[in-house]
Amino acid sequence: MSAPASAHHAAAALENLRLPVSYWSPDLRLLSWNPAFAERFNCFPAGLPSGITRGQFIDAVERAGLLVQIETQSDGEKEAAGAPTLYFSDGSIYRLESWQAPDGAWTAICLDITTAQRNERALRKARDAATAADQSKSRFLRAANHDLRQPLAALKILIYSCIGAQDETERQQALHAMEVSVAIMEDLLGALLNIGQLDAGRIRPSIQTFQISAILERLRIQFDHQAREKGLELRIIPSTAAVISDRVLLERILSNFVSNAIRYTEVGRVVIGCKQAGGQLQVHVIDTGPGIAPEFREEIFEEFFRISKHQDKRRHSLGLGLNISRRLAEILGHRILLRSHPGRGSDFAIEMPVGNIWHSTIGEPEISEQIGGEFSGLACLLLEDDPHVRAALAALLERWGIAVLNLADLGDIPASLAALERAPDIIVTDYRLNREYLGTEVVNEVNDLLEKPCPALVITADTGPELIAGIRAQGYPVLIKPVGPPGLRVMMHNLLFEPEAVPELN
Amino acid sequence: MRTDPIRIGSMVPLTGTSASDGREFRNGLIMAADEINARGGIIGRRVEPVFVDTGSQTAEVVVRAARGLIATHGVSAIINGYNIGPQNSEYEPIADAGIIYIHHNTLLQHHDTVASDPERYFGCFMGDPAEYWYGQGFIKFISWLRDTGRWKPRNRRIAVISGPKPYSIVIANAMDACAQQFGWTPAFPPRIMRSLKTDWCALLDEVRVHDPAVLAFTHFHAGDLAKFHLEFMRRPLPVLLYLQYGALHKSFSEIVGAQGRGTIVGTMIGLLRDEPGRRFTEAYKAQFGPHSTPEIGCQPYVALHHYAIAAAVAGGVGDPGDFAANRRIAAALLQLPYRSVAGMIRYHPKWQAAVPYPDATSDPSMGLPHLFYQLHDPEDAPALIAPEPFADSTFELPPWLATSS
Repeated sequence: MSAPASAHHAAAALENLRLPVSYWSPDLRLLSWNPAFAERFNCFPAGLPSGITRGQFIDAVERAGLLVQIETQSDGEKEAAGAPTLYFSDGSIYRLESWQAPDGAWTAICLDITTAQRNERALRKARDAATAADQSKSRFLRAANHDLRQPLAALKILIYSCIGAQDETERQQALHAMEVSVAIMEDLLGALLNIGQLDAGRIRPSIQTFQISAILERLRIQFDHQAREKGLELRIIPSTAAVISDRVLLERILSNFVSNAIRYTEVGRVVIGCKQAGGQLQVHVIDTGPGIAPEFREEIFEEFFRISKHQDKRRHSLGLGLNISRRLAEILGHRILLRSHPGRGSDFAIEMPVGNIWHSTIGEPEISEQIGGEFSGLACLLLEDDPHVRAALAALLERWGIAVLNLADLGDIPASLAALERAPDIIVTDYRLNREYLGTEVVNEVNDLLEKPCPALVITADTGPELIAGIRAQGYPVLIKPVGPPGLRVMMHNLLFEPEAVPELN
Repeated sequence: MRTDPIRIGSMVPLTGTSASDGREFRNGLIMAADEINARGGIIGRRVEPVFVDTGSQTAEVVVRAARGLIATHGVSAIINGYNIGPQNSEYEPIADAGIIYIHHNTLLQHHDTVASDPERYFGCFMGDPAEYWYGQGFIKFISWLRDTGRWKPRNRRIAVISGPKPYSIVIANAMDACAQQFGWTPAFPPRIMRSLKTDWCALLDEVRVHDPAVLAFTHFHAGDLAKFHLEFMRRPLPVLLYLQYGALHKSFSEIVGAQGRGTIVGTMIGLLRDEPGRRFTEAYKAQFGPHSTPEIGCQPYVALHHYAIAAAVAGGVGDPGDFAANRRIAAALLQLPYRSVAGMIRYHPKWQAAVPYPDATSDPSMGLPHLFYQLHDPEDAPALIAPEPFADSTFELPPWLATSS
């Protein structure tokens, strides 16, 4: 190939190259470029000006908003050390590589590294997550080795003593002890799970305005029994304040405070009370326990912290509760306050903003008839032998907030009725049950046995006018199958609340 | 292009116990139709209301009315105030025809029916929030009075009496259910009156024994409320007294007179006292007389305007059976909140009912205000005392409490 032909081919290759290439003089003035370069830097209305200095060129593309940032690599280990990275406004990323020829002129080429960069970022993120998970796993194993062994070993012994138990009392004692061991393990695993979620950054708070009383009531239900068993008084001072926080996370923080207070207090009481000042509400958990020495008041919030090696093994604490509380408080942006007098007790408090009572939510995600309907909380004895009809009716009644009851054995109504967890408020019965019983007769027997007889309605697929008239004459309103929700609703309402509107009853 | 008029059905109790409300519902729809027609109708077609009297408001009557409007009059939509009795049974013929239905029944059952089959009930909308919110909102209201020092309750006990209708029972249950979270103790479980032919004096004496600080009666009928109130005033209990919506009616103040002063009344949909609200009131009274009640007429008025906007955006109305066109209108109703003279109508995507402020949204521009009034003298408009930013008056200690303290 002749020299001119070769030069021509090289020029054509450059022309067709999809990578932006440019050629600069030794004093860094733009001399020549390929179409891909012109297209990449298309912010010059009159076309790329020949002879523009590198400084002017960068200035112009930055001013035009085309180039967002230039980053110069300082990582000496990399092959392309010194090659700047260009971040364009369209999100693409290029690395600018350049070579100096013997005559001092520069050839620069822009390499599109957008995909590579994104992949690298994703990989880095995945690596960090894996490292965190690994750390979490190590911690888990450390804790498991440390604390789960003990109840597990106890459980093993207890299983053997249960097998070899001589009498029922001994077996019951062993079973009770096993239950305690399992509960301890459950608590430990629960705490580790919380830590795992915190480590993985998976906890996203759901901030709402709500009444603090709702949480105080739940704490009472959760801890009242535990405190009483230990001979402690759990006193909760009511509050009407609305607060802005996350219901679940705040409850977890306070549960940890209360559970610690009960665990470490031998005599006296645990008091939960609120104090409002300057738009903030503090919830205090005050105990009459041993108190915390000043030197440990910061350390107690660290993972697996125990004042001494032998401390409180018998209390089965991992030393994670306060760490979880602190980390949750950080997520919520709430402050934890601690005051303690060794020998006299401690006062753990959390502080959060007071909310507007008008915005207070009642903790139900969705308002429905199940929660607030007119039948909500009532119980219906549903007697229907067709499993499909029964399932459909039961689903409808449950959607209205009604507890659906059934009689297990129509051949033994007294026993079946006695086995119900509660007395019904209303009865809905099919007319023919299992081909051998009449719904009306079952209702009569049920009502004879109930302390407070309840209204009943009969459903039937039989449209014979005589039969229907006969049922009505016995004082039972009738609905013909298939029963539609509005018809059933009106009839149930009238039976329960407006009996005057039921002709069969009058 | 079609030029025949668009027929809008309306099921209104023009006779019977709710006739006074029925008249206002009719007025409101006529006024909105006139305004829409004056600006050229809906994409060039005039709007023509068709009214059917639902007098007794039983399921049978209302279902028959819906069927007649669809089959005989071929209505494209049914828009009205409330009907107490049908318990959503009127949804069936409407869903079969696939037309739009906007009512103001104020019932939680609406949520349940729509959620049970959203495909089928795509066109059923409730232009006001469910009665449930009355209960929760009222508890927040009295808590707000207490916490801001506007009123100092003697104790934490609250007594709730309900009428026999589902509406009344749901409100009473809601008050009872959330009272404790807000620092109140129910004096007894909600007392559901199976009959209103009752000896109010004996009932009030029974309540007196429990010594509550708050007494709420959640029945809605103005006449019954007036009888109850007169009995209450014979020997007032030292309580904050709340009566349901019906006490805002003229008929209530006509019977009770100045003795109504100090009573608290709430409504989930009322008229705002801002500039558009005042302008609407003037126009309404000019058209229907000084004794007409724009506070009630505004319900179908607002709903028809909202429907007209949605239908225009959707490209036109749908006849019975034209599911595709009506689905487009239903989608537009959900997507286009409408700031009406009653406040913001924003349909909840699942409930297909107006979202209440501040009960279900803390943003006053995103919900229909749940308004609390305190009655003054019969010739004065009731004082609108909550919620902010709509209130124009402040709470006053009721006269019977002022004298007892």
